[in-house]
Amino acid sequence: MFYVSLLLLLLLAGSDCRVFQFPFQTNEPYNIAHRGSSGEFPEESVLAYKRAIEEGADFIEADITATKDGKLICFHDLILDSVTDVHDHPEFASRKQTYVVDGVNVTGYFAVDFTLEELKSLRLIQRYPNRDQSYNGSKLQIPTFEEFIAIALASPKSERVGIYVEIKSPTFINHHVKWSEGRKFEDVFLNILKKYDYNAKYLTKEWLDKPVFIQSFDPSSLIYLHNKTSSPKILLIAPDSITSDTKQTYEEIISDDYLDYISKIVVGIGPAKEAIAPVDSNNKLLPMTDLVDKAHARGLEVHPWTFNHERNLLLPFDYHQDPYREYDMFVNTLEVDGVFTDSPESFETYRRQWRIFSKRKRPYKNE
Amino acid sequence: MWVGTFFIVFLAAVAGSSCGAARLYRFPRSARVAIQDWRPFNVAHRGSNGEIPEETALAYKRAIEEGADFIEADITATKDCVLICFHDPILDDVTDIAAHPEFRGRRATYEFEGQNLTGFFVVDFTFEELQRLRLRQRYSFRDPSFNGKLQIITFERFISIALEASRTVGIYPEIKSPVFMNKHVQWPQGKRVEDSFMEILQKYGYKGKYKSDDWNKQPIFIQSFAPTSLMYISNITDSPKIFLIDDATVRTQDTNQSYAEITSNRYLDFISNYVVGIGPWKDTIVPPNITTGYLMNATHLVSRAHSRHLQVHPYTFRNENQFLHFDFHEDPYEEFEYWIKTVKVDGLFTDFPGSLHRYQEWSSKE
Repeated sequence: MFYVSLLLLLLLAGSDCRVFQFPFQTNEPYNIAHRGSSGEFPEESVLAYKRAIEEGADFIEADITATKDGKLICFHDLILDSVTDVHDHPEFASRKQTYVVDGVNVTGYFAVDFTLEELKSLRLIQRYPNRDQSYNGSKLQIPTFEEFIAIALASPKSERVGIYVEIKSPTFINHHVKWSEGRKFEDVFLNILKKYDYNAKYLTKEWLDKPVFIQSFDPSSLIYLHNKTSSPKILLIAPDSITSDTKQTYEEIISDDYLDYISKIVVGIGPAKEAIAPVDSNNKLLPMTDLVDKAHARGLEVHPWTFNHERNLLLPFDYHQDPYREYDMFVNTLEVDGVFTDSPESFETYRRQWRIFSKRKRPYKNE
Repeated sequence: MWVGTFFIVFLAAVAGSSCGAARLYRFPRSARVAIQDWRPFNVAHRGSNGEIPEETALAYKRAIEEGADFIEADITATKDCVLICFHDPILDDVTDIAAHPEFRGRRATYEFEGQNLTGFFVVDFTFEELQRLRLRQRYSFRDPSFNGKLQIITFERFISIALEASRTVGIYPEIKSPVFMNKHVQWPQGKRVEDSFMEILQKYGYKGKYKSDDWNKQPIFIQSFAPTSLMYISNITDSPKIFLIDDATVRTQDTNQSYAEITSNRYLDFISNYVVGIGPWKDTIVPPNITTGYLMNATHLVSRAHSRHLQVHPYTFRNENQFLHFDFHEDPYEEFEYWIKTVKVDGLFTDFPGSLHRYQEWSSKE
């Protein structure tokens, strides 16, 4: 009997111990670690993601873009200049280019002009000078999309972590990268997700096992994927902007008609905070817009970006430089459904201290 | 009728006298919620000056609204011996003195705490002249919308704000730069700034040892960087006193003692005869590594103070990122947590009493 128990224990230990898991939480607004714990570590690095998981993030978030040889990586900018040590690599000096991006000339070292192997020779640095610089150039490389997924999957099952991945600048990428077999960026992206079984409808048992959101500023990419995957999608929205692919204005995107239309494709929107809580030129809050209500009325979740304590910018004076007041405004007053934050730790503290349980229960019906 | 006339004349004379406002504020003392004493004190450093220009009535009222236990002020003196709330010896940094051509000739250079300082010195202006000035937010990265609207207040007005509150709010006034004050201000009858300071406190009934009934009704800490001032007033009052300690490079203005000396065991033994606590600059308790931006190992100052039953009230806690060492991940509440739970201080001077109050309310639920 003893040996049977021992054998069972060993088997359990060797398996993924599903009997000891906590279910993925959906009662509280999601803690989305924006580019990992990027307040503390260079963004979109292995350390930033691991730290975010340690700190209790529900999702680790990444911008997925492509290399010259069609490999998908986690990297936010089109150019390497701001967050890598590319300037310290004389062997790449001739790669500096100027391309037109959304009608504007941009000059720099474009990631699409480098192979994955070349990019792996670079080291990441902290974007903002007032944040900790001590990891600059030391050992942090650009991760591939698959390496990012591996980090999420390696988290202890008791701390299941979802992935929140953006199809970044697909128009530009599809224009510049020569895909093999005629495949598009969106297809390559999706194949990787499916390879790791990220393909379930929102809030199903399978999704709770492998939580994922696919986000993009480009509606046509989301529409393209709509019939190819059950994974939930989020449309990102920025005020004063025009969509790269469909050339639609912000006003059009947030109109009732468009929200009616897109709510068949996406489960939520990811607006800039200023689309909900605009700020005047004196750094004071203006009256809130009705965007959250309009979204909620259509059963759409709202995940605003980005909560980041300051960078070089100040919080609007109304919050008295207190990040918890800002969280409070968005979570308690506006009842958003998740936050993109550079500091998953502080949002976790906020959730724990206030023991927030959403007044809104998922799944949301049309209200 | 003559008595009545005499009485009116007397009142007018009292009201008209200089060297301190004549109004005597009286307030109902009963039925007010007592000050909390089971968690570190929330000391609103110059009022809620993260939001509103420092040491103004509005900044103090806001601090009280936000839950501060104490409102804190630097008490200095004008040319005509009026005690006011003002931090700097000069007016240049937080007032619109530059916009007053009538005062252009007052610019001076004096030796101030061992260095030459040039500017418009408070001690060269009467209170009435200072009232023409308007205050502004010291830091360019804080809300400027009150700039040009608020005036300097007197020590008595500061006290009245505390006593007017609907709950018990303590005051934490500092005898500021007494050496300079006593040198430059013509105090009547050979008095010192400390005498004038104490007269006002006594006028409003501030007395009693720490935690006595009198103190609980009107809590107070008297603070100073000058040990001899604290020793001097010990003969006048039993109100609790706090010895402020500056950066490790600064010597005491009156006794010219070094940081090492005034934080030595022997000195702490000595000063604990006069004060109930110390108020050090927090970077001397847990020094930061300037290169990395992270804290180094804590010194033993707090435990040495605590073993002598001295409280520790470090200054100053500020929400803005540039004041937070990297250990705190840009989160001011993490800084509060470290100092309260790990270092175990007894009070905190903060520019953001609202945030400290919220943190304390949260953490006390557990």
